[in-house]
Amino acid sequence: MNNDGIVWEVLNNQFCSFKVKTDLGNLCRHPYNVTGRCNRRDCPLANSKYATVREHGGRIYLCMKTAERAHIPAKQWEKIALPKNFAQAIEVIDKELIYWPGWMINICKQRLTRITQYLIRMRRLKLKNKTTLVPIKKKLERREKSREIRAEAAARLDQSIEKELLERLKSKAYGDQPLNVNESVWKEILEGDAVEAESDVTTEDELEDEEEYEYEEEAAGGSGGRLNREFVADDSDADDSSAGDDDDLEDDMEDFGDMSPSDFSSAEDDSAGESEDAIDEDDEDGSDMDDSDESDSAKKPISKGKRPAAPAARPKPAKRTKKHGPRVEVEYETESAVRDTMLTNW
Amino acid sequence: MAARPVVSVFGLNGAKLDATVPLPSVFTAPIRPDLVQFVHKNMAKNRRQPYAAKQQAGEETSAESWGTGRAVARIPRVGGGGTHRAGQAAFGNMTRGGRMFAPNKVWRKWHIRTNSNQKRYATASAVAASGVSALVSGRGHRISGIEEVPLVVSAEVESLSKTKEAITLLKALKAYADVAKVSNTRSIRAGRGKMRNRRHRQRRGPLVVFAEDKGISRAFRNLPGVELVDVTRLNLLQLAPGGHLGRFVIWTQPAFEALNKVFGSQTEASVQKKGYTLPIPVISNPDVSRLIGSDEIQAVVRPSGPKSMRRPFTQKKNPLRNTQVLVRLNPYAQVLRRAELLGKNKKTKKYTHKKSASAKFLQILKAD
Repeated sequence: MNNDGIVWEVLNNQFCSFKVKTDLGNLCRHPYNVTGRCNRRDCPLANSKYATVREHGGRIYLCMKTAERAHIPAKQWEKIALPKNFAQAIEVIDKELIYWPGWMINICKQRLTRITQYLIRMRRLKLKNKTTLVPIKKKLERREKSREIRAEAAARLDQSIEKELLERLKSKAYGDQPLNVNESVWKEILEGDAVEAESDVTTEDELEDEEEYEYEEEAAGGSGGRLNREFVADDSDADDSSAGDDDDLEDDMEDFGDMSPSDFSSAEDDSAGESEDAIDEDDEDGSDMDDSDESDSAKKPISKGKRPAAPAARPKPAKRTKKHGPRVEVEYETESAVRDTMLTNW
Repeated sequence: MAARPVVSVFGLNGAKLDATVPLPSVFTAPIRPDLVQFVHKNMAKNRRQPYAAKQQAGEETSAESWGTGRAVARIPRVGGGGTHRAGQAAFGNMTRGGRMFAPNKVWRKWHIRTNSNQKRYATASAVAASGVSALVSGRGHRISGIEEVPLVVSAEVESLSKTKEAITLLKALKAYADVAKVSNTRSIRAGRGKMRNRRHRQRRGPLVVFAEDKGISRAFRNLPGVELVDVTRLNLLQLAPGGHLGRFVIWTQPAFEALNKVFGSQTEASVQKKGYTLPIPVISNPDVSRLIGSDEIQAVVRPSGPKSMRRPFTQKKNPLRNTQVLVRLNPYAQVLRRAELLGKNKKTKKYTHKKSASAKFLQILKAD
């Protein structure tokens, strides 16, 4: 009935659905073939006693077939899960295939070796952060770029920033004696206050005045513009920042939320030192002070006036919302690591 | 096979029933791929319809060769004038618009007669091959989920009438994968057959064999790839499609039991095929390589010689010059030669010259 010689004669000379003819010789597509070649010895169909090592889902199994189960295709292969330890797996193979043909045992071991090697390699590869290539779609890029430009123009950022700044001045957010403010502008605002007491705000005058104030534009445009995004670790910018800068820095910080705290230096002294500086430049910080004070209250106090070389530690930058607008200093330990995440999270 | 093995029967829900059927003798018939191929080839020709070229095709001209001297090839050319056709070559298989070489005739022998015994042998072989799971899966059927080969289903299957029921049965038996394979491989034929009513091609699915049609054909006939056949009319073209052994067959229990009546056994004559007994194999265990390698035979076999024998006599050597060859031809030559050599040794004692004559000699010389 079931006869290996006949089976081989039929499959080899007539037709086998698993055979693949190539220049290198005949190959076998049967999933249980131990070598992958099509010949009398390696054919899983033409040998009623056969053993293979197969891998599924990261686990390696020894599969054995005997003549006793030849008529039950559903249970033909006996799968034994090999231990993850390589040496133990070899022992299991030796034990299970004892008295089996020597070449079969050796080939199973070789296959086990190869499979473990490629599994190790797969795991190692997964740990690497491999950058995926994404094609640049010219049409899309072109369209988005022009849309950006148009949106930026329509947004009239400089005007809105101006308005915002003036509103802040008016609302005395910067106190009674703000620095870096044009005298005439300040006067106007003071007069405006007086006028307001009588009547409604004359918006037209203010609008004319707002246009002349370039410093605000510079401050706003340099850091608020989308065009130049430079990810640089720089303390000085953070200290000199106006409200606009703070907003942008806050945007950056939101992006850095993914980063682990280890990426940043853990010098707690820095934040304390920073708070000292904040006290000096009182008028500018204003509401920022409250937050920084709260966060720094738990930290060690540092001698006044010292500007620490190392940057501030930031406990949880991601949680800070835009409303608070705290001052944050960021230092990037390894530039390359930062760049990667920045590039993906921009 | 020593004892007659027993095949289990499966119910409508795919579960194994207690009932079993002994394996019919057909499944022990010798599997003869060469014979099956031969018979299949002949049987496949029996369905042909004649084709031929038109009888007068290419000869409906009165062309004549212009002969030599006109700077043209000597092929017959169409006479007359006033048209492109004039002067064009005609009548040859190599000419444009000429008659083909050996035009097909309708009186070609389209159908081939094969000996009944050969046909029966081939069918028996094909049935036997359908019982070998390796051959069935090698042929390409998806049977990895099947519980047993050959697959026998209970008699209730013959009363099925709904295709839905047939599908649930196949799924329960894990045989539906083969049907799914067929519907997945349905594709449009390449070539002119597309427009000749042979538009689609698909694989073959399971062959369902029954003893009595109580509705089973209506249940299974619409499933793609599934073929139905009465057990008394088993067809080699279905059992070994393309001449390739190992069709996936689903038997109903009555059909399976009827096989003994259809084919008989090696000793018992068949009921259906009058006086026919199954072929007796020339060699009971065809696996010759295993036989040779078996312990029983290896124990009594002499040790093998070198893998490749050196050719014994590739160059003639002259006995007059080669002593070994001389001795091979004439063994006494060795004795002679030896004696010769020894004599030579004796002879080659150095002859020392005397400086003066001996006294006795001088005495004789001086005497008167």
